[in-house]
Amino acid sequence: MSLSERLLVARLVRRDEEAFNEVVRQYGDRVFNLVLRMVGSRAEAEDIAQEVFVTVFKSIDSFRSEAKLSTWLLRIASNHAKNRIKYLARRREQGHEPSGSDSGDLADEGKAPAQSHIHGPDVLLEAAETEDIMQQAIATLEEDQRLLVVLRDVEELSYEEIVEITGLPEGTVKSRLHRARMTLKQLLEDKFK
Amino acid sequence: MSAADSHTRTVDAFSAYLEGELPPEEKASLEHHLATCIQCRTSLERFRRTLGGLGRLKRTAAPYSFLADIQQQINRRSRGRFFRRRWLLFGRIPFEWLSLAMIVAMLVYYIVVLQSSPTGVKPIPP
Ligand SMILES: [Zn+2]
Repeated sequence: MSLSERLLVARLVRRDEEAFNEVVRQYGDRVFNLVLRMVGSRAEAEDIAQEVFVTVFKSIDSFRSEAKLSTWLLRIASNHAKNRIKYLARRREQGHEPSGSDSGDLADEGKAPAQSHIHGPDVLLEAAETEDIMQQAIATLEEDQRLLVVLRDVEELSYEEIVEITGLPEGTVKSRLHRARMTLKQLLEDKFK
Repeated sequence: MSAADSHTRTVDAFSAYLEGELPPEEKASLEHHLATCIQCRTSLERFRRTLGGLGRLKRTAAPYSFLADIQQQINRRSRGRFFRRRWLLFGRIPFEWLSLAMIVAMLVYYIVVLQSSPTGVKPIPP
């Protein structure tokens, strides 16, 4: 941990509000994007990301200085996102919500209604369409695989960071990630068959 | 090794191959298989495209009101102990306004007190 980060953490421990604002400004987008890619819904992501920073404010005392602040934050974000995915899945099973609602509004964004039914290889070139399909494919993975794909292939973190965030051994991270990628590849192939 | 085995081994090594983590002999043997197997070559191309698609997912910034929303949450849950309303309006202490007010106050003091006072410092007439 760098000196400036150490100082920032010391201020956070004192519940210095300006230090906390700094953390939100510095890591807000990253946390939001991670959570959004995990849950696929903007409204859910806003809610979870807020919750992540409330947790940071409350439990900064449990932060151990051998970790990086960003890693600790992303671990909290991952756990919140995974819990929400499980919660939403349970609710769906109990019939409170229509299935697929957790990939809801993000998948509907920026896409012309007329285009949403077109399938075929050409569509792959349409950035927005590809993004929707990719997001939907991610949403079909179980939460642990989803997390690995988002951390490595979307957020482009190092394996070292991913090991710290997930608490999994590097070998497990790599083999699960490979399986997740193969599942995504298969899903996309089926989509464009 | 059977043909099916070498397909499986090749496919299993895609991630390590693309991330440059295969030892030289394994890399050579995988490339040898790819050179002769259209099925695994196509599969690798699709695998690569899948990863490319993930990497191109756009970064979405947190909403504009994100910080203020969190401050409000903490304020509510701490029963007003942290991030009190006046802080929320500016996001922090409004130092610019405070210093401006100070300057104006000093000016007023100078004009009103020093200029109008009969005991004020005046140049001594020659
Ligand atoms: Zn093959």
